[in-house]
Amino acid sequence: MKRPARAQRRTRPFAKAPSLSPAEMQRRTEMALLGMKVFLISLSILFTASLAGYLAVRARAAQWPPAGAPPLPKGLWASTIILLLSSGAMQRALAEARNAGSSHLRAWLATTLALGAAFLVSQVWNWRVLIAQQMTMRSSLYALTFYCLTALHGLHVIGGLVGLSLVLSRAFRGLYSPAFHLGVRLMAIYWHFLDVVWLVLFAAMFLMA
Amino acid sequence: MAHPSDNYLTHTRGIKSWLLTLDHKRIGIMYLVTILGAFLLAGIFALLIRTELLTPGQTIVTADTYNRLFTLHGAIMIFLFVIPGIPSALGNFVLPLQLGAKDVAFPRLNLFSYYLFVFGAALMVLSIIVGGVDTGWTFYTPYSTDKARAGVIPVLTGVFLLGFSSIFTGLNFIVSIHKLRAPGMGWFRMPLFLWGLYATAIMQILATPVLGITLLLLIVERVLGVGIFDPGLGGDPVLFQHFFWFYSHPAVYIMVLPAMGVISELVSVHSHKHIFSYKMIAWSSVAIAVFSFFVWGHHMFVSGQSAMANMIFSALTFSVAIPTAVKVFNWLATMFRGAITLTTPMCYAVAFLSLFAIGGLTGMFLGSLATNVHVTDTYFVVAHFHFTMVPVGVAFIGGLYHWWPKITGRMYSEKWGRIGCAVFVAGFYVTFVTQFIMGTHGMPRRSYHYLPEFTALHQMSSAGALAMATGLFIAAGTFIHSLVKGLPAAANPWGGASFEWQCPSPPPHDNFTETPPAGDPYDMSDWEYHPEIRGYVRKT
Ligand code: HEM
Ligand SMILES: [Cu+2]
Repeated sequence: MKRPARAQRRTRPFAKAPSLSPAEMQRRTEMALLGMKVFLISLSILFTASLAGYLAVRARAAQWPPAGAPPLPKGLWASTIILLLSSGAMQRALAEARNAGSSHLRAWLATTLALGAAFLVSQVWNWRVLIAQQMTMRSSLYALTFYCLTALHGLHVIGGLVGLSLVLSRAFRGLYSPAFHLGVRLMAIYWHFLDVVWLVLFAAMFLMA
Repeated sequence: MAHPSDNYLTHTRGIKSWLLTLDHKRIGIMYLVTILGAFLLAGIFALLIRTELLTPGQTIVTADTYNRLFTLHGAIMIFLFVIPGIPSALGNFVLPLQLGAKDVAFPRLNLFSYYLFVFGAALMVLSIIVGGVDTGWTFYTPYSTDKARAGVIPVLTGVFLLGFSSIFTGLNFIVSIHKLRAPGMGWFRMPLFLWGLYATAIMQILATPVLGITLLLLIVERVLGVGIFDPGLGGDPVLFQHFFWFYSHPAVYIMVLPAMGVISELVSVHSHKHIFSYKMIAWSSVAIAVFSFFVWGHHMFVSGQSAMANMIFSALTFSVAIPTAVKVFNWLATMFRGAITLTTPMCYAVAFLSLFAIGGLTGMFLGSLATNVHVTDTYFVVAHFHFTMVPVGVAFIGGLYHWWPKITGRMYSEKWGRIGCAVFVAGFYVTFVTQFIMGTHGMPRRSYHYLPEFTALHQMSSAGALAMATGLFIAAGTFIHSLVKGLPAAANPWGGASFEWQCPSPPPHDNFTETPPAGDPYDMSDWEYHPEIRGYVRKT
């Protein structure tokens, strides 16, 4: 049975679909943006609940950090700065995508990707510093919550890197134009979101120590 | 009908065209089949439970097996039938039709949710069986952190996947309702079923992540042996209960709000009368959604939380009753002086009202501290939540009858439909009223053994369960008979005015050749009955 080609296209929102009218394009853009926002609301509940769990555990503890546990590493500052820079790079990429006649979109996307990867490296480095001081996940709730929250955030960063790679490859294939660069916009929203989440986690775990 | 042969069922053929379909109608049907399968399975476990309870002590299974049976029964009913039933099966089919849209906002995501659901469901069910999980559907610690129960981690993973599926479906519905309403359909011209689905979707995306993180923490605790919740390891079991019920109380409204949406449709259409006070019903859905986030502590009155917390949660619990009662009165007012036809869907709607009223009122007993302490963890609680959750199933079946002609293009036997409903409801009352009585006399829940003086009541309850099963088999029989021998259905067999009745039955692949004019979805005065087609046609 032959595939209904039109119907197939109808449901593939963002591929180059020349048959789509600008109004339809606009409507689909709006749908995707709203979808992303709803998704982030849901994710923010995930992180809020995790944070609430962390605070509850911390409130019950007699002493925080527990006696003998090392303080959280200073390297977290490095992570924070790297992630902030990557957010800046993402914003530049978005500006480039909007701007006709500019050719730096790929470069800025690649920079974001590299900084995102660097963030993860820095986080793993921080873990290693702690492990070198005999603080493992099993040591205490202090350790466990730190590893869990950073891992939960890190997993979302990994997801972001996958998304960024896709966006980058689409940018290389020339699929974005100033009029239509939905992928870049969605990516930027998600990326800034992860940045904000990290700042909150950083403040709660490190600055409030 | 323009092209009677080309509808969504015949549009493409072959198993692949179903498994990879992006058509919301087919995805809805795949959910329907999966969910009905789960319902059957959980129903069989229920009958096994009731058989075991025929006599005190061991009747057919050991205490351990009994614990597994009620875990299987509860977890499957909740996670695979009552929560996903109406939104995923009926909602997927009906929502785009009622919006006047071709599909949901993100058809691929929709299919993806379905497969997440299937994998999650399979993982959950298989690992309860293979891993011998007997924690009950609530996974309370320390039962669930006890290393002896090997299957807990895969079960939690399964539920976690189901949660994802639920979130994505909710997201899809929210965006669809925001962006795909037909031209001219303002928020207050949506059919109330859509309001129910919308309020539900909001709760799905806000509450489910909390369940997700709770399950993850439980997994971490089991893997690493660090005490988060397990008191034996220095954790706090009450913290688990807070997390769990922060999801699971809203979840009871994730279950019931879509059902209320269905009931709004059934009551109005089958009374042939405009829904009474549309806005109150719409807003009360939203109010219920909001309130329900602040009452979770009523599941923990005896957990040792502070007396102050108990009082606050008790007072807030009472407040949820207000919007619920508003809805019930509006439905009754809709029926009042309507031209009621006691079709099968209407019978189920009336059954819903009678059962849910009792469920809600006994919730007030449970929400009052003094009575709660007396009856908590007894069969009173069991009867209460069955009087609230089974009506969700009742609304599901009623909705299925209501939209069945649309889904399949065939009518069913009203006579047998009504008989099935009556037998089911009679069986239900026998099963669960006896449990209220046992509960007030102190019969504890989740026990395979009981004092001999409860024997007669338990046996009555089991007999009622058998009647319920019979009613359901009669209903299943009407559906099968309809598929084989049913008369062809008109586009609008009931005289409803919402969009789904304005496309052929079954709908074409693209739903509408042209979007019908948006009007009041409950103004049915334009439609008149034509006996020769057994359906309604718009007056010209
Ligand atoms: C809307 C549908 C409802 C559903 C599906 C539902 C479901 C449930 C379930 C499953 C439980 C048992 C929890 C457990 O111990 O495992 C429960 C208990 C309870 N329900 Fe409901 N409920 C509903 C409505 C209400 C209403 C309207 C109220 C009060 C206004 C209420 C108040 C309570 C209370 C206080 C308990 C705790 C009983 C205890 O101490 O264990 N429920 N409900
Ligand atoms: Cu509750």
